Amino acid sequence: MAGKTIVVTSGKGGVGKTTTVANIGTMLAKKKYSVCMLDADIGLRNLDVVMGLENRIVYNLVDVIEGNCRKPQAMIRDRKLNNLCMIPAAQTREKNSVNPEQMKELCGELAEEFDYVIIDCPAGIEQGFKNAVAGAQTAIVVTTPEVSAIRDADRVIGLLEANLLKDIHLIINRLNHRMVKKGDMMSTADILSLLAVPLLGVVPESEDVVISTNRGVPLVHQRGSRAGRAFIQISARLNGEDVPFEEEKGDGFLGRMKRFMWS
Amino acid sequence: MLKAIRRFFGEKPSSQVARRRMQVVLMHDRMDLSPDVMESLKNDIMAVLARYMEIDQTSIRVDLEQGKDYTALVSNVHVKRVYRHAHSN
Repeated sequence: MAGKTIVVTSGKGGVGKTTTVANIGTMLAKKKYSVCMLDADIGLRNLDVVMGLENRIVYNLVDVIEGNCRKPQAMIRDRKLNNLCMIPAAQTREKNSVNPEQMKELCGELAEEFDYVIIDCPAGIEQGFKNAVAGAQTAIVVTTPEVSAIRDADRVIGLLEANLLKDIHLIINRLNHRMVKKGDMMSTADILSLLAVPLLGVVPESEDVVISTNRGVPLVHQRGSRAGRAFIQISARLNGEDVPFEEEKGDGFLGRMKRFMWS
Repeated sequence: MLKAIRRFFGEKPSSQVARRRMQVVLMHDRMDLSPDVMESLKNDIMAVLARYMEIDQTSIRVDLEQGKDYTALVSNVHVKRVYRHAHSN
């Protein structure tokens, strides 16, 4: 049976696409699915450093597409999980060295081999975006609670729908519950009413994310991180599991105690 | 503290301001997303009007107008003649 191909996109840069890909990919692999992550951000590759696999790269996406190597040669296996691998983007090439038809073909082939193919889309809505989206059946749009990110997310959702990609889910990243409570940040409900796309999950703003990317170890490997827990839930929902949405809590005393016990 | 005083004097929380602004911005963005959508909107409006009146098919204009706290869709059409009974088609 063919696997699922999922593109993670956002329009705006720096909202957490690569972090999302790394964490969802890792978590699904932890659930024993075979997962291939594909970095489609040609010229600005980053998934390799976030995964901590930067010094194992020999071949890349463009090499696979141009036939300079066989597919398995470009797949870099994860350090911890045997059933997780990634194909890095080319760093010294341009976005138009690949076209949407080639990406579609590659994604189709990978979906035969893996349960999940997760594509890291570049920022913007040009050629790179069109390439990344071409082979996907499902799209995850990542946004933050800021006006610029939301506007770009809306634009991307419009473009995805025009591309006949209708299975679209939303992740709200870097939500600061304290600011929402004070009325200084748009809430989950605000954002959902603006974008009108089903919610996959909300990731709270957290220093843990920076620390985990520093180390090159995805958050879902760690226990006790709230952001990590959000990604665990997101992966479960993506996998069709029924995970209820938690009520948005601030950092109350009980919450802090609970977190203290967790870690 | 300063914020509390400002709130007291009727300043809205910034999240509300952001949401209100985004509602308007997204409406505009979606409207001029593609000329195709605009064209099919015009055609649909004309099809409905044509059941009630004879209109100048080339004269239709559709614009978004920004009021202080609303966005209005304004359409101008030249009417040539109004039918006595609505035509079913």
